[in-house]
This record gives sequence, C-alpha cells and structure tokens, in this order.
Amino acid sequence: MNQLLRILEGIGSTVQLLLRAASYAPTLPRQFGRLIEQCYLIGYTTLPIVAILSFFIGSVLALQAGYSMQNFGAKQFIGALVGLSMARELGPVMVAILLTGRVGSAIAAELASMKVYQEVDALVTMNIPPARMLVLPRLAAVLLMMPVLTIIANLVGWFGGAIISSATSFIAIDPASYFATMRQQMEFSDVLNGLVKAEVFGFVIVLVCCNIGLNTRGGPREIGAAVTRAVVVSLILILVLDYFVTKALL
Amino acid sequence: MNNPQQSARVGLFFLLGIALIWVTFETLTGGKVLKDEGYTLLAGFESLKELKEGDEVRMAGVRIGEIKATRLGARRAEAVLRIDSHVAIKADASAVIVMAGLLGTNYISVDLGTATAPDLVPADQRRDQRSWVARHVPFLRQEPVPAAEIRTRVAPDLNSVMTQVGSIGQKLETALGNLGTAFTGDGTSPGLIQKIDALVTDNREKLSATMTNLQSITDKVNKGEGTFGRLLNDTKLHDELLATVTEIKAGITEAKTFLANAQSIIDHVKAGKGALGTIVFDEKIGEDLRSTVATIRSVSDKISRGEGTLGKLLNDDSLLKDAQAIMKKADRALDGFDDTGPITAVGVVYRGLF
Amino acid sequence: MPPPDTETADLEKPMGGTSAVGVKVENLSKSFGSFDVLKGVTFDVQPGEIFVLMGPSGSGKSVLLKHVVGLELPSAGRVTIDGLDAAEPTTREKVRMALVFQAGALFNSLSVYDNLALYPREHRLAKESGIRDKVMRALQILSLEHAAQKQPSELSGGMRKRVAIARALVMEPQLMLYDEPTSELDPVMSATISEIIATLKEQYRVTSIVVSHDRELALGIANRVGILMGGKLAYLGSASALRQPQDGRIEEFLHPKIDLKNPRFKKLEN
Repeated sequence: MNQLLRILEGIGSTVQLLLRAASYAPTLPRQFGRLIEQCYLIGYTTLPIVAILSFFIGSVLALQAGYSMQNFGAKQFIGALVGLSMARELGPVMVAILLTGRVGSAIAAELASMKVYQEVDALVTMNIPPARMLVLPRLAAVLLMMPVLTIIANLVGWFGGAIISSATSFIAIDPASYFATMRQQMEFSDVLNGLVKAEVFGFVIVLVCCNIGLNTRGGPREIGAAVTRAVVVSLILILVLDYFVTKALL
Repeated sequence: MNNPQQSARVGLFFLLGIALIWVTFETLTGGKVLKDEGYTLLAGFESLKELKEGDEVRMAGVRIGEIKATRLGARRAEAVLRIDSHVAIKADASAVIVMAGLLGTNYISVDLGTATAPDLVPADQRRDQRSWVARHVPFLRQEPVPAAEIRTRVAPDLNSVMTQVGSIGQKLETALGNLGTAFTGDGTSPGLIQKIDALVTDNREKLSATMTNLQSITDKVNKGEGTFGRLLNDTKLHDELLATVTEIKAGITEAKTFLANAQSIIDHVKAGKGALGTIVFDEKIGEDLRSTVATIRSVSDKISRGEGTLGKLLNDDSLLKDAQAIMKKADRALDGFDDTGPITAVGVVYRGLF
Repeated sequence: MPPPDTETADLEKPMGGTSAVGVKVENLSKSFGSFDVLKGVTFDVQPGEIFVLMGPSGSGKSVLLKHVVGLELPSAGRVTIDGLDAAEPTTREKVRMALVFQAGALFNSLSVYDNLALYPREHRLAKESGIRDKVMRALQILSLEHAAQKQPSELSGGMRKRVAIARALVMEPQLMLYDEPTSELDPVMSATISEIIATLKEQYRVTSIVVSHDRELALGIANRVGILMGGKLAYLGSASALRQPQDGRIEEFLHPKIDLKNPRFKKLEN
C-alpha cells in the first residue's frame, strides 16, 4: 500500500514537473547557453559509446540471424532483418538504455546533490524555479539529441551487420545485396518510427531522472540511492513504454 | 559554462544527425518526398477466405499491388487494394480471390477487362491523395480513401463444388436416362445432330483443358504420389469424394449401356432409318450437361493444383485403385468412339466426368 | 520577460532594497511526522531591524527560517512578510529576500563570479556590464575580488560563507536571512561577518533575521533577540536586556560554565 502510494506520488510529481517545465518553455531562447551545454553532455559525449555498442549489436544481429536463417535458405534477408530490427527496436531501446546509464544517472546525481546541499533551496529563494533552470534545458536538449544519436546508432548498426555478413564465411552476403534487401524491405516510416520511439524514451528518462533527483531528501547518502532509483525506474519505463509506443505506432 | 568550442561541437553534431537522417530518408524513399504510393480500390466479397493483409494483387499473373487492409463492410467483407499508379484497370475488369500455392496463400486476381472499356480510375487520380504527413508521421497517419470500387466475381470454392459433385451423379443419371429415352423414343427431327454438334463445339476448349487436368491427375495417381496429403485433410470431404466416385462408377456403367444404345441409334440414323427427328434434345438437358461439365472442370482444376482433400484421396489405396480402374474403363470405352461424329456428344458427358 | 524600461529602472536603482519589510510570525507550529519542531512561536520583526534568533542546536531555528522564505510549509499558524503569506510562491516574486545558508549552498558547477551573477542574469536585472559592476562591488565589500574566478570547491569555509553573503547582497534584498553565518569560523572572521551584517543594515536599510548561537554576534549587533528552546520562544526582548542576568535555562545557555569537578554528562548519568 505504501509502495503503491509512493509510485503514485512519483507519477504525480513527475507530471507536475513536466507541466511546470513546459510552462517555462518560452524562456528557452534565453537559456540557449545552458541548452547547448546540455546538448553537449547528452548528445556529444554519449556518441562514442552509442557508436561502439550499436556496431556490435548490428554485428551480433547479423551473426545470429545468419546462423539461424541459413537453415531456411533465407539468409539473403539478413539486410532487411538487421535494418528493421535496428531501426524499429534495438536502435532506440539501446540508445535509451545507454542514455539512462550515462546521462540519466548523471542528472539524478547532480540534481540530488544540488538538493542535498541546498543549492535547489537557494534557487527557490532566489525565485529561480528549478524546473526552469535545471529541467527545461535538459528536456529540450534530449529532444534535440535523441534523433541524432538514434540515427547514428542505426547507421553504425547497419554497417556493423554489413561487415559481419560479408566477412563471416557461413553467411557471405556481400554488402551490396545486404543493403539492397534492406532498401527493398524497409520504408522510411520504419526509421521514423524508431526516431519517435527514441524521443519518447529520452524525454521520459530525463524527466524521471530530474524528478527523482529533485525529490531527494536527507543527507549525501541519499544521492547514491537517488541515482540507483533513477536508473532502475528509467530502465523499467523504457521497456514498458517500448511495448505501448510500439503498439501505438503499428 | 559553455564556450564557443562546445557550441561548435554541438552544432556540428546536430548537423551530422540531420544529414544522416536525410541520407537515410533519401535512400529509403528514393529521394522522392512525395513517394508515389499508387491508388487504392475497394473490393467487396462474400467472404475473403484466407486472404490477408499484404497478399498480392495480380493482373494476368503480374503483381500490380497488394492488399492494404481487410475489413468488414455492410453485410460483406471488404479488401482495400493498393494498386501501382501506372497500372490502369478497366472499368469492366473484375477481381476474384485465387488460391496461389500449397501453403494456402491467396491472392486477388484482376482480369484485363476489355480494351475499349474506360479506366476504372482515370490516370490523373491514380496517385495517393494523402499528404506526406498523413502517410509517414506516426500518430498522424491516415488510411487512404479508396478511389473506386472494383467489380468482383466469386470463384467456386472446393466445399461447394464437392457438394455439387455429390449431386452430379444423380443429375447425370437422370440426364442420361432422359437422353436414353429421348433416343429410343419416336422423334423424327434432324435437329438433334446439329444440337449435339453445337454442344461439342462450344465445349471443345473446356474439354481439352479438362483432359489435360485429368492427364496430370492420372500421372500423379499412376506414380502413386501423395505428397500434398499432408497439407489438408478434411474427412468429410474425403468421404464425399469417395461416395462421388462410387456414384460416378455407377454412372459409367450407365453411360456404357447408353453408349451401346447410342451406337445402335447412330447406326440407325446412318442407315437413314429411325425417327430421330422427333427426339427432342430439350434445352434443359443441354444446360444440365453444360453446367455439369463446368463444375467438373473446376473440380479437376483444383485437383490438378493439388488442393483440398485430394492428398488424402490420392493416398488412399482403395480410392487409387478405383480411380485407376475407372481410368482404364474410360480409356477402353473412349477408344471405340473417337471421331465418330455425333457420338462425341456422349463423349462430352463421358470425358467431362473425369 | 520584463519590458526594457524596467531594466533601465533597475539599473539606476541604488544597491540595497527599496524598502525594508516587516515579518510577522504568528503561532507557527511545525511537526515532522510525530516530532514537533516548532510549537506555536509568535514574534514579529520590524522593518529595518536586525533580529537575532538564538537557541541550542536542534531547537528549530533553521526550520523557522525556512518557513520565512517559504521552503517549508507550516503545520499550523503562519508567517507573513508585509502582510503576504510566506507560504505562497508569489510572495517570493513580490518581496526580494535572500537566505544565506549555513553551508553556503553555492552552486558548485559555477564559478564564484557566476554564482553571484546568476540572480541578476536570470531575472534580467541589468546588462552584462551592469551585472559585472554589481558583482565586483559585492565581492569588494566582502574582500573577495581575488576569488572571483575560483570554483566553490576551492574555497575555505569562511570564504564560502562570505561568497554566500555576497551572493545575497547582489540580490539587493529587502529581507536578509542568515543561517549560522559565523559558525565554523575563527573569532576574527566571526567578528568581520558580524560587522558586515551590521554595516549592511545601516547602509541599505534591509531587514535582517540572523539565526545563530554566537553570543558575541547577538549582543553586538542585534536590535532584538529571540531565544528558541524546545520549539518555543523562551526569550524575546532587546539585546541590551539580555545582558542582565536571566533565569536558569537561558543563563545556562548564554553563559555556560565549564565545571570540571561536576561535569554535565555525569549529571545526566545520575
């Protein structure tokens, strides 16, 4: 019962935070510096790990698909399989998970420590709403950066799959036909679907992590707890949302 | 807080992302912002049977589009067909659901229609009327509105055919009985021969198709193949077939005696005797024969495609033997009547059976 | 977004609040769960006054201060600033108040300069050059010019506190609240801070509420003193009156004697 109450409270405060942050949206142009800074942290610095991971995910996808599909003589569809899986599912979800680990945790830790060390209180007494200064630029930044990260993840994953497909002896699909089947079986709406999904994930992750950070109470010990909570909640939300967003987009 | 270098990196990064999205877009849409998605037609059927979304639409065997959606309309089932915009469908063309393969995949076949007929959808309306947003953007996507409705035909499905086949034996019996009586009666009109000839000429094409089908079945039967047996098995249908075959056998015996009678009548006629003029080969019998032939042809069509319970039928030893026996009898019987003029009419009935 | 004319008006405004405000604390109670921190505290602070709130650790001084800035909401009673309910978020927009936190609460991600400049920048009180003048002036007052580009993590405790005060000054508040401004500081620095608080009041006519258990500070600069004990106001009166001997509990708090022969912890054991 208590647990349920806490969950409801969490949902409620998250929605409130969202509304408050949204109400400050007109102040975004003059927070341009902060927006750029957050874009840098959320997008630019996350790029290397996204690139590395998506390359290997694409490769493994090709490898596994090639292995299982050779029995059906359907391995020429590897391109389409890797393409669609990356674009529609793995690209967005993987970027979201990396974002949680790299950015969500950092946001939760930063805001939790600001809260614990009364910096947030100081902002409030200065009549600078935390939702405006701390949350809004992050939300805007993630909306700008998510599609970029996701499309890079997709492309790197596709290329990873192409390289592995041509280099693995039992698959041996040359890149040209790999990409040809991909082009044939895929539509841009598949990619767009993935980008929308990624936007939803990114936005929710940042919002939830901000909220958990800002609602931290107690001493420095709570900062660690807040980070753990933020990451766990984000991961759960990604997978739950994944289902619903996928369903809504079908 | 932030410096020019950081801004530059973010800017570059963002532009890179936009560029990559654009490249992907170009590659996947062929660079056309307004990709031509063709036009949509509505086709209403009594039942869509096994037809699914994504199944093909073909015209003369060439793929021209696919099933975009299936839905329930007002007292009928509706399929929304997406047709490539360069394909013109004539207003009098009709669509029919066809079984395509052993795996039960169906497709819609649209016939060519007549060359002079106007297009069902004029060329200038043969493109997707929706905006790009309505086509591609999730949540805002709209289904296309069908540009026109295409006429449909019903292809007889195996179940109804088999029930019909069940009653054929009876009909045939009566028909043959009538014919027999007609022949043995005291008619004097010379119109009989013309009528019979016309009937044969009308049906010669059908007949040869039937015979080809029959040949392929016989081949299969002879080889004792039964690989499609796995695919479908409907015991009811099988039993019906069994019964039908028995009936047909009876029919053949009947036909043989009739043929013998006919032979004597023909001799009679050739000799200038008899009273054939008075034998009225009435329209009803002709019609009966014609429909029987058509039905049987479609059955054999299906059989040659290996559909239905025939796998079972062909796997069943007793049935096989029966069938073989019938074939032999048929061959023997037919030997005597090739190219015997009016007698071909009887041959029609006879061959039509198999 | 304020129109440009208010911006110039702000630029011309002298440093310091336009008018000091009075604070009224009425029957304020606060409990966290079953633990009552404040039990019906009532007092008021006159505009332009320095009010020192003393009391042993854990007596609820800081909590009371948070009620004044609206960071905590009262369980019962209320706090008004110039008649406006402190619990209302809009009060913060109408009354400029600055709280100097005990630990400084400096923004760790910003340099000292940016810490000070944040308020005027966020509220667009002046152009960047005007902001620099204000910030440098505030730093000058607290002799922090050399620390302008340092990060808060590089500062000593005393400097942090001074930066926090400087940050409050840049806000040109009508109401200044100090939470333990002299704790953890050496005596000279404590004296310096006390002098700063007193000087600010004289120069800018700002109402100040100082929470402290520094006796020297209280007696040195306060107009009036309140002593909070166990969530209730045990003393409320002028600083000079406090120099007279008080009843046992307050006397004990103000002038604790170190008695080695009969230590307090031993008394507790019995």
